[in-house]
Amino acid sequence: MRPSDDLLGRRRAGAAPHARDERPAAVVAGVRGQLVLAISSLVFFLAMGAGLASGVTNGAAASPAGDGSQSAQRAPARIVSISPSVTETLFALGAGPRVVAVSDFCDYPPEAVALPKIGSFLVPSVETIVGLAPDVAIGTPSPGNREAVEALRRLGVRVEIVDAAHLADVPAAMRAIAAAAGVPEAGESLVAALGRDMEAVRARVAGAPSKRVLMVVGHDPLVAVGHASFIGELLAETGAINVAPPSGAWPHVNVEYVIAADPEVVIDSSMGSEESTSAGRFWERLPSLTAVRERRVHPFRSDRVLRPGPRLAAAFADLARLIHPERWQ
Amino acid sequence: MAVARLTPLTWGRLLRVNGALLAVLLVTLVAAAALGPVRIDWRRALDFRAQVNPDAVILLRARIPRILLAAIVGGALATAGTALQALLRNPLADPHLLGVSGGAALAGVCALVFRPAVLGQAVVVPAAAFAGALASTWVVFRLARIGGRLDSYTLLLIGVIYNAFAAGLLMFINTVVDLYQAQGVLFWLMGSLANRDYRLVGALALYTLAGLGVLLLRARDLDCLSLGDDRAAELGVQVDRTRLLIFVAVSLLVGAVVSVSGMIGFVGLVVPHLVRLAVGADHRLLLPAAYLAGAIFLVWADTLARTVLGATEIPVGVVTAICGAPFFAYLLRRERWKTAP
Amino acid sequence: MTGSRSGHGADAVTNGVLVRADRLRFAYGQREALSDVTLAVGRGEMLAIAGPNGSGKSTLLSLLSGVRRPAAGTVRLAGRDLAAYGRREVARLVAVVPQETAVAFPYTVAEMVLMGRAPHLHGIGLEGARDLAVAERAMDRTGVLVFADRLLAELSGGERQRVIVARALAQEPSLLLLDEPTTFLDLRHAIEILELIAGLNEREGLTVVAVLHDLTLAAAYFRRIAFLRAGRLVADGPPLSVITEATVRAVFDAEVRVAADSDGVLTVRPLRREGR
Repeated sequence: MRPSDDLLGRRRAGAAPHARDERPAAVVAGVRGQLVLAISSLVFFLAMGAGLASGVTNGAAASPAGDGSQSAQRAPARIVSISPSVTETLFALGAGPRVVAVSDFCDYPPEAVALPKIGSFLVPSVETIVGLAPDVAIGTPSPGNREAVEALRRLGVRVEIVDAAHLADVPAAMRAIAAAAGVPEAGESLVAALGRDMEAVRARVAGAPSKRVLMVVGHDPLVAVGHASFIGELLAETGAINVAPPSGAWPHVNVEYVIAADPEVVIDSSMGSEESTSAGRFWERLPSLTAVRERRVHPFRSDRVLRPGPRLAAAFADLARLIHPERWQ
Repeated sequence: MAVARLTPLTWGRLLRVNGALLAVLLVTLVAAAALGPVRIDWRRALDFRAQVNPDAVILLRARIPRILLAAIVGGALATAGTALQALLRNPLADPHLLGVSGGAALAGVCALVFRPAVLGQAVVVPAAAFAGALASTWVVFRLARIGGRLDSYTLLLIGVIYNAFAAGLLMFINTVVDLYQAQGVLFWLMGSLANRDYRLVGALALYTLAGLGVLLLRARDLDCLSLGDDRAAELGVQVDRTRLLIFVAVSLLVGAVVSVSGMIGFVGLVVPHLVRLAVGADHRLLLPAAYLAGAIFLVWADTLARTVLGATEIPVGVVTAICGAPFFAYLLRRERWKTAP
Repeated sequence: MTGSRSGHGADAVTNGVLVRADRLRFAYGQREALSDVTLAVGRGEMLAIAGPNGSGKSTLLSLLSGVRRPAAGTVRLAGRDLAAYGRREVARLVAVVPQETAVAFPYTVAEMVLMGRAPHLHGIGLEGARDLAVAERAMDRTGVLVFADRLLAELSGGERQRVIVARALAQEPSLLLLDEPTTFLDLRHAIEILELIAGLNEREGLTVVAVLHDLTLAAAYFRRIAFLRAGRLVADGPPLSVITEATVRAVFDAEVRVAADSDGVLTVRPLRREGR
């Protein structure tokens, strides 16, 4: 029996023959065939999901620190930066004119934006970098660029990887970048300036009453700034009590937990510049929060500035001011 | 004439079975409201005269909408799966095979990632995803319709291919966005019931019950269609029209669910199977029973998702996949195929 | 000979003919399956259709039931063009017993038979007392009432076939179409089914058109035989005139010996090439 049309069909008779589901001999059309099809597509979908997951989280371990011993005999004339924080630092060190390319995500300073791009800092393009014939490529460890870094080294490109995952490592990282760029003295001044500015902020908020703070970087899922993250360390420096769950750098928090933790200040970096967006509505639905009652829910667009770079102190000051506004009056 | 020895489906049995399931669902809802990563004080929570207090906010704003959404989504997925299995004559069909899910996910993710920041994501993403679902339903329908008939085999193939295409595009998107966004995409895809807009939950409730109603009216046709298109026609079913109607109803149900809560898998596959084993294959009883059973299943799965790791959320799709896949494998091994050779 | 049973649709009697096919043509893609087939079946007739594989027998049945539409020609049921009927209307008049049934879900025998009542019910309509009585009677006559609560998949091929016959009878049709109903049955059950059908035909005037392979069985139960070959009707008449050695050779490419026994019933036996 082949399908063509039924009693009330308006088509011409004699449609092309199909495999029928009632011919048990037909391998694919039978129930078993459909079983195979159903399972294989489910497996496919699971594999897709796994592939997506691994693509996002692969290579989380930091790549080994760069060979600092191989310092250039002279200052490198062509530098490629594969991380936004490195780019900022390089320009702040005065090495900007020698930077020939940056990553897609390098958005500061404006001169950097105009430079040629070598790919995302997740996966830099090895070919592009090699084609630029740099004297050194400098970057921070990130998921996914480990293989690119190894490939670059195999191809003879000098790569310096500077780890600044923790606040305490920032001065050393800056010095390492400065050394790699051949300007160690500028590095020392930058580190000193950073230290002074950070200390100034710390002094401002010294002795302020500790506030319970929650900082959130996304709503769906609800992701909080955890204690182990770089920004989390900055929060701690402001004297705030971070109410995010104790473990993890970017915990996905259940909203019930947030309600129970009752932060006094909420810093939401996923909100737009106005308060009255859907993100704002999200917080208004939780009226028992002290932060909501006292209108201490603040957007914070500078989260991308909270990088281990020259603007760190300014961003740190912004953060501290949101938490302890009374110290800036 | 012989004494009646048939045990047919009666209103009594319909009410008894569904009544029992409804009772279990109500108990489940109450139990789920009591469970969570945070302990709440019931009296304070339910005391309406008092000031706004955390217990009340947790219960009324965080837990109850989420539990209700879980029930609605679970029911819709199970119902859609039941109808689709009848349409495809295959007890292993999952509603996400249709291609609608892939298209809805793709549109939703595009909205998630590329929307201007001023548009909050709570309503824009589901709206975009649903538009994607409608478009995908149309595309799959056009591709799978051969000579006026929505052939099962072709429908399945087109759905798989369309999903693969959408998955490819999704993967591409995930490589060009930054890390935060990529993770957001991944978690949206895995399915979550947390923090959904109230209005969406309400709309979804009405919508899915309407979908259940439409399918219920066609329950007998589903029985006949599961025997084959020709057999169904011989039993009086307008095959082409009915197949189309069911395809559209299932697609719209699945599309709406994916738009609001992402792709929660295995509910639409395992629940119809289990319920069919328990109450039989008559769709007049199977459809409502599957709805209720799906609701119960997903409320428990979501309760597990939000309590097992304490303050940390697991996407509910993870729980259904981890529990569902081994269970599905067990069913495969144990089940003597109730098909005639 | 028309029994008065309730549940029938249009009952217009046009010269006693229940279903008439006029110059039917049907093709699967490029391949012609039926060419210029004209056939009329009167009320209360029993017609057997036989022919080699691929001669279009099943196709003809599907055109008579309305599941397929002819490329050319018409089918008239009780005087009306089949295309003018609603699907459910047809299903109340015509029931089909297919060659085999593949069931994807765990239906019980009772559930399967009750599906035969679907053309008489609406939407979510649950079966009433009369529906149950009809179904039971059908199951009783086909001998499957004892299996009522068993799963269809647990039965043997023959038992399953009888369940399908019961389902067809539960539709209370005026016309019963059967596609090789005895192929999977053992001798006893094949005889039982044919006896049942013949009895329904004689006592209640059920019109029967059946595709059969076994010419001897056909000759024993059917008063009219039609041969199809390559989509054309090449013989149509009582067994004595249709089933001859020459005709069988021409239609089936098979050498047989046809003989009438003492009751005047034909037997067809193969002619051995070697030996006797």
